[in-house]
Amino acid sequence: MRSFILKRLGLGVLVLLGVITVTFFITRVIPSDPAAQWVGPRATPQQIAAARAELGLDQPLYVQYGKYISQLVHGDLGRSLRSHQPVVDELKAYLPATIELVVLSTIMAVFLGIPLGVISAKRKDHLVDHISRIFSVGAVSLPTFWVGLFLQLVFYRLLGVLPLGDQLSTDVKLLYEIPHITGFLLLDSLVTGNLVVFKDALVHMILPGITVALYPLGLVARMTRSALLEILNEDYISAARSYGLPERLLLWKYALKNSLGPTVTVVTLSIGYTLVNTFLIEAIFSWPGIGSYISTAVISLDYPAIMGVTIFSAIAYVILNMIADLIIALDPRVRA
Amino acid sequence: MNKSRISFIALMVLTVLTLTIVTGCGGNQAGQGGQKAKIAYYAFNSEPVLDWDPSVEFSNGIVVMNNIYETLLRYDPAENKIIPVLATAYTKSPDGLTWTFHLRKGVKFHDGTEMKADAVKFSIERTKKINKGAAYIWDPVQQINVKDDYTVEFKLSYAAPLDLIASCGYAAFIMSPKVAGQPEDWFAKGNDAGTGPYKVQSTKRGEEVVLTRFAEYWRGWEGNHFDKVIIKKVPETASRRQLVEKGEADVTIELPYEDVEALKNNPNVEVLTAPAFQNLFFCLNTEKAPLNNKLVRQALSYAFPYDDVVKYAMGNYATQARGPIPHGHWGHGDDLFQYKHDLVKAKELLARAGYPNGGFKLLLTYMSGDEAEKKAVELYKAELAKLNINLEVRGMPWESQWELAKSKDPNQRQDILVMYWWVDYASPYSWLRSIFHSEEDILFNLNYYKNPAFDKLIDEANARSGIDRAGAEKMFIDAQKILVEDAPAIFAYDKKYVWIYNKHFKGLKSNAAYPNTIFFYDTYRE
Repeated sequence: MRSFILKRLGLGVLVLLGVITVTFFITRVIPSDPAAQWVGPRATPQQIAAARAELGLDQPLYVQYGKYISQLVHGDLGRSLRSHQPVVDELKAYLPATIELVVLSTIMAVFLGIPLGVISAKRKDHLVDHISRIFSVGAVSLPTFWVGLFLQLVFYRLLGVLPLGDQLSTDVKLLYEIPHITGFLLLDSLVTGNLVVFKDALVHMILPGITVALYPLGLVARMTRSALLEILNEDYISAARSYGLPERLLLWKYALKNSLGPTVTVVTLSIGYTLVNTFLIEAIFSWPGIGSYISTAVISLDYPAIMGVTIFSAIAYVILNMIADLIIALDPRVRA
Repeated sequence: MNKSRISFIALMVLTVLTLTIVTGCGGNQAGQGGQKAKIAYYAFNSEPVLDWDPSVEFSNGIVVMNNIYETLLRYDPAENKIIPVLATAYTKSPDGLTWTFHLRKGVKFHDGTEMKADAVKFSIERTKKINKGAAYIWDPVQQINVKDDYTVEFKLSYAAPLDLIASCGYAAFIMSPKVAGQPEDWFAKGNDAGTGPYKVQSTKRGEEVVLTRFAEYWRGWEGNHFDKVIIKKVPETASRRQLVEKGEADVTIELPYEDVEALKNNPNVEVLTAPAFQNLFFCLNTEKAPLNNKLVRQALSYAFPYDDVVKYAMGNYATQARGPIPHGHWGHGDDLFQYKHDLVKAKELLARAGYPNGGFKLLLTYMSGDEAEKKAVELYKAELAKLNINLEVRGMPWESQWELAKSKDPNQRQDILVMYWWVDYASPYSWLRSIFHSEEDILFNLNYYKNPAFDKLIDEANARSGIDRAGAEKMFIDAQKILVEDAPAIFAYDKKYVWIYNKHFKGLKSNAAYPNTIFFYDTYRE
C-alpha cells in the first residue's frame, strides 16, 4: 500500500510540474506586455521600462522560468499584474467562498442523489423511475449557466423569496460583525454563534448551491441506480432474499453498501468538474469566489493570477484522483 | 403504500419545508429600498479598486478613491468652473511658472493629523517618486515649496494648467504624511489616509468596498447624507438590472442599451444620460500601404457609417465625434470639418489614389468582449465591402491588440486598431499628445502619425495653457484641423454616460472629468 501511495504521489508531482511548465510558457508566448499591465493603462515608456526590470522580464525566458519555480517552492506565486498584490494572498481571500460552495453542493448531491438512485432502482421502470431519470438526465445536461439565471428569475424576480446573489445581504454585511476565523462564512458564523449572519449566509447559498449541485446530483442518482440494479441481480442477493431477509434491509444495507464504490469514485472525480463549474456559476451569482477572480484575470491576461489558479486546480485534481484511486485500491475485490 | 415510498415522500416534504422556512426568513432580506436607510449601494460593473495606493491607482479605483481622498481643486467641465476643495484659493505668476495654493484650515486626515502644506508637498512628491499610474501628470512640476502651514508653492518648468492637473481624478490625492512610516502593504490591507467624507470600513479584495462616514469631515454632517456606502462588483448585467429594479441597489452603470430603453418605462427607475470625456478612434496604420496614402484614409473616413454606428452600436447613447476632442471638453472644435457617410465621395477618392475598384484587404483589430466595438466594426465591414475592400476583423484582448500594434515592422501590424481614449486631467493635450504626437517608442500613437508642424503647435499650446487658456484653445483647434485633413484616424463617436438609479436616490451629478465617479457626500435618499 505504501509503495502504491508513493508511486501515486510521484506521478502527481510530475503532472503538476508538467502543468506548471506548459502554462508558464503558454502565458509567456501569448502576445501581451506584462510590464505595461503592471504600470496601468496609460503608462509612459519610462514607467514601462522600469516595470520590465522590476518584474525581471528583461531576462531570458529560461531564467524567468527557473526563478518562478524556485519562488513556487517557497510558496510564492508572484504578484498579480492588476492589483499588485501577492497571488497567494488573493487566493486565500477568494478560495473559502468557492470551497464552501463546492462542499455544500457535494453534500447536497450525495444526500439527495443516493436516495433518488435507490428509489429509482427499487421502482425500476415505474413512474418514479421515469421522473427520476428525466430529472437526472436534465440535471446533467442542462447548461448550468442557464439554470442559474432561470432560478434567479423565478425565486428573486417573480417570487421575491431568495436573494439574487452574493454571500450576504447588504444590511447584514454592514450592520453586523462578520466573524473571520477560517474564512468559511457558514462555519465561522456558526462557531461564533452569530445566527443572523449564519441564517443570511445559508439563504444566500441556496440558489448557487442548487445550481452547482445539479450536475453531481444527476450523476450520483444515475450511478447509484445502475450499480444497485447490477448488485440486485447478483446471486447472493437472491440467496439472501430466499432466506427471507426483509426487502428494506436487503436494499438499503446489503445491496446499497456494496454498490457505493463506483458512486464514491464518481463523486470524488466529479468534484474536480464541480470546482470548475463553480467558477462559471460564480459570475451569475456575484459570488465572491475564485471564479470571478479567474475570469477577470483571464480577460486582462494577468498571468501570475492565471498561473496561481491553474496550479491550485491542478493540485485539487491530482489529490482528488489520488483519493479516488485509493478508494478503489482499498476495495479488497480490486486488490485481489 | 410501502415504506420506501413513505420515506421518499417524507424526504421531499422535509426538503420543501426547509426551503420554505429558510426562504421565508430570507424574504425580507431580499430587501425593499426604503428600509435600509442611510446606506448607498452602487452596483459597479467591475472591480471597485485595483490598487489601494492613492499615488498608484489609475483605473476603476477612482470611483472609490474620490470619496476617501480629496484633491486641492475639483473641475466642473459643464460649468467650466474650478471648485475649491482642500485649497480655498490659488494664484499664478504672470509667466505661469509659479503657482501658489492657499489651503483650507481645520481639515483633518482620517488618522487625526491636520492637513497642512507639508502634507501637500509630501503627497505630490510621493506620487512623483513612485512614478506609477498617472504620476506623469505632475511632469511640469519641478519644485514644491512650503511657504507656511497653509501656503504651498509649485515651481513649473513650463506654463502647464496646474489647476486642472491638481483637479485630476487620479494621482492628485492629498494624503497624510504619516503614510511615509507605514509598511509597504499598509494600503493593500485596506487602510487609508485621506481627508474625504468617507473612510474604509471593510473590503473584500476585487469584490467590494464598504465605506463609513468620517465623523470629523470638514464639511460636517448636517443635513441628509449616507452613513455608509457599498460599492460592489456585480459583473452580470442582468443582475445589475434586477438589483436596481428591485430597489436593492441604488445606482448602476453600463447596462445594455436595450435594457436602458426598457427601464425608462419603469416608474421606480431614473435614467440620466450625460456627456463623457471618452471617445472611440479607429487608428489607421499610416506607415503601411495603402493607408500611407492620405486620399485612401480620407476615403475610409467617408466610408464609415457614423449614424448607423451611433444608432445601432451605441443605442443613440453617443454622438458622432467632431475631431479628437470630445463634445463639452475645452478645445473641442465646434466648427471642425466632419466626415459624413458618403460612399460616392469615398469611391472618388479611392479612384484618385489609384484604387478605382478597391480591391485590397485590411486587417482590423478591436477589443474582444466590447459589444459596441464589435457592432461598429461589423457595420463598417459591410460598408467597405460595397467599395470592394475586404475588411478582416479580429477581436483580441486589449493587451494582445496593443502588442501587435507596437511591432517594429509596419507590415506586421494591423491596418486598423479600434480604441477608446478618456480623460486623465482635462486638457486637449492629453488626447492630442498621446494619440497623435510623434513618438520614438510606439506607445499610444497607434496611427504612427508624424507631423513636426502639428507636434510644435500642440507643444506650444500646452506650454501656454497655464497662462492663456483661450489662446491655447485656439492653437489646439488649429492643430485638430490638420488632423482632420490628414485623417490618421477615423473619429467615430463621443460616448455618453448612462446612469441608472432608483428614483429615491438623489443628488447624483455626472461629472465627465471623473469617469463613473459618484461623490456620495452630495447624494442622499428621499
